Amino acid sequence: MKQQTVLSEKEGGGQGGDEPAAGQGRGSFKIRNRLFQSLVGLIILILFIFILTALANIIWKGSAGLFSSLASAEIRFAIRLSLLTSITSTLICLVVALPVAYGLERFRFFGQGFISVLLEIPLSLPPLVSGVALLLLFGNTEFGKVLAAKGLQFVFSVNGIILAQFFIIVPYMVRVLRSTFADVNPRLEFVARTLGCSQWGAFCRITMPLAGNGIVAGLVISWARAIGEFGCALMVAGATRMKTETLPVALFLNMSIGNLDMAMAAATCLIAISVTALLVFEILGKRNKRDSRVSLKLE
Amino acid sequence: MIRLNNISKHLGAFNLKNISVNIAKNEYFIILGPTGTGKTVILELIAGMYLPDGGEIWINGENVTYKYPEERGIGFVYQDYMLFPHLTVEDNILFGLKIKKVSRELMRMRRDEITDMLGIKTLLRRYPTTLSGGEQQRVAIARALITRPRVLLLDEPLSALDPRSRELFRQELKNIHQQIKTTTIHVTHDFNEALVLADRVGVMNEGEMVQIGIPEEVFQKPDSEFVARFVGIDNIYEGEIVARGEDKWVALDNHLLRVDSNLNGKVRVTIRPEDIIIAREAKAGNVYNAVKGIIVAIIPQGSSYKIVLDAGISIVALVTRQTAGELYLQEGQPVWAVFKAGAVHTF
Repeated sequence: MKQQTVLSEKEGGGQGGDEPAAGQGRGSFKIRNRLFQSLVGLIILILFIFILTALANIIWKGSAGLFSSLASAEIRFAIRLSLLTSITSTLICLVVALPVAYGLERFRFFGQGFISVLLEIPLSLPPLVSGVALLLLFGNTEFGKVLAAKGLQFVFSVNGIILAQFFIIVPYMVRVLRSTFADVNPRLEFVARTLGCSQWGAFCRITMPLAGNGIVAGLVISWARAIGEFGCALMVAGATRMKTETLPVALFLNMSIGNLDMAMAAATCLIAISVTALLVFEILGKRNKRDSRVSLKLE
Repeated sequence: MIRLNNISKHLGAFNLKNISVNIAKNEYFIILGPTGTGKTVILELIAGMYLPDGGEIWINGENVTYKYPEERGIGFVYQDYMLFPHLTVEDNILFGLKIKKVSRELMRMRRDEITDMLGIKTLLRRYPTTLSGGEQQRVAIARALITRPRVLLLDEPLSALDPRSRELFRQELKNIHQQIKTTTIHVTHDFNEALVLADRVGVMNEGEMVQIGIPEEVFQKPDSEFVARFVGIDNIYEGEIVARGEDKWVALDNHLLRVDSNLNGKVRVTIRPEDIIIAREAKAGNVYNAVKGIIVAIIPQGSSYKIVLDAGISIVALVTRQTAGELYLQEGQPVWAVFKAGAVHTF
């Protein structure tokens, strides 16, 4: 609301100064502009209240039994498993996404547009469908059997959770990193190369340090998505208490048996993680304008 | 020495066509042309950012057409400097030497030498974003020169500076080149830079190198209408050479002008505005031409005036403020435009 008054002040001042000729119609313009501003302000307010109450409600309901729930073995297991899987999947994702984002941004090759679109499909795919796809690929197929024989069991296992999270977050990470690399002028790398750097050297000495903020932003936003991943992981790894029970699974299982305290505790943990991640992302985004544009696209 | 051998490159809106030029060792060569004619692309081709569609690039007798940028021994200074924003001025300057793993003593020696020459010793601890345009420029040149490149490429190095610093830095570039003598290719759209700095100049138009020569020659004797206009000649006419006895004349409209020319038949004629004297009386003699006309416009141009005469043909002359004042020039007055036969250039 405060922002709205500031806006209207500016508007009024500008109008009076720039266009004295419009003096006659000023009264009606003023009313119409105020009306427009009030309408926009009102809708913003409604949406804000809606989301605030929805979230506050969870924390309100959850806070009563929060500490006893957090002390329970089940929630502690879920937190630990969530951290383990999400951190692992995010790091693997970074290792893969860095070269992919760089290549798609800097190199020109045949089929680039097609590859680029295909890599983004998981962004808009329902997570359940992604889960089915992974299940089919890693399940009862030759590929899956070979991996299982080597000790890499994905179906109904913790590995499956990591795999599902990786599949879901990799396009996000690629997107953030691509826009970060796009922000680093390729001529900087080129100058480094004229000074004797190899392509690899220029990447490490120039592009990576300059992309630092964007990489951290990508890590945070991908990690937050990974920790909240449910549908895809459910398909691949299932929802087994104390085995593949991450925070979202804990929320789901406890909700379904009516254990509200535990469910709210899990939800509160997830909200805390989301808010923190969003804050970090926004702070980094402010330092680097292009990133904040990405945050708009993603959120 | 640098040799461009029939280089062509199509890149977006730019289309370079059959660029061939030999640049001697230690030469200061300026590529001159209007914005958007692909001058920067030539530099980036020489430095190895792109592969040419056709032709070859030779540096010091070595064919570098297919070499990586890092193998070419190039110093590149971009118009917007391209300093590494995450490194201090010192680390920027030492970047090339660190890559080459030069010894610390040599690094320190070269650093002191180059920073003294460019007067940037006090900036070493600063970051590029805190520097003025002129300071960034010096740092970029230091970074390029410290590696002792085989060729220094300067992309519009003066265009981002204000007029005063531009003049100072132009002189400084000349001094630097006299000291270091690195073969230099400098791209600009400002003919004055060419006059002050260049040993030779190549004029570009629409992706082609249309004239190569020493600056005075290009300035006085352009061999195409484009170059004539580009170097600021307003008086361009079509005429015909007429020989009468010993003398040669050129017929323009209904004027007959004395000319030193070994051409015959139809020609283009240019006369530099500053070679024309405005006078109240016709000057006699067989080396002078005198054309009578009416002043149609007096346009102030810094310390001088541009006088536009209507004499059947339009003639533009450049006179000093002092002359304009002494002659009480006014629009509508009849005056004489007087110029030597040697000032009439034909091609």
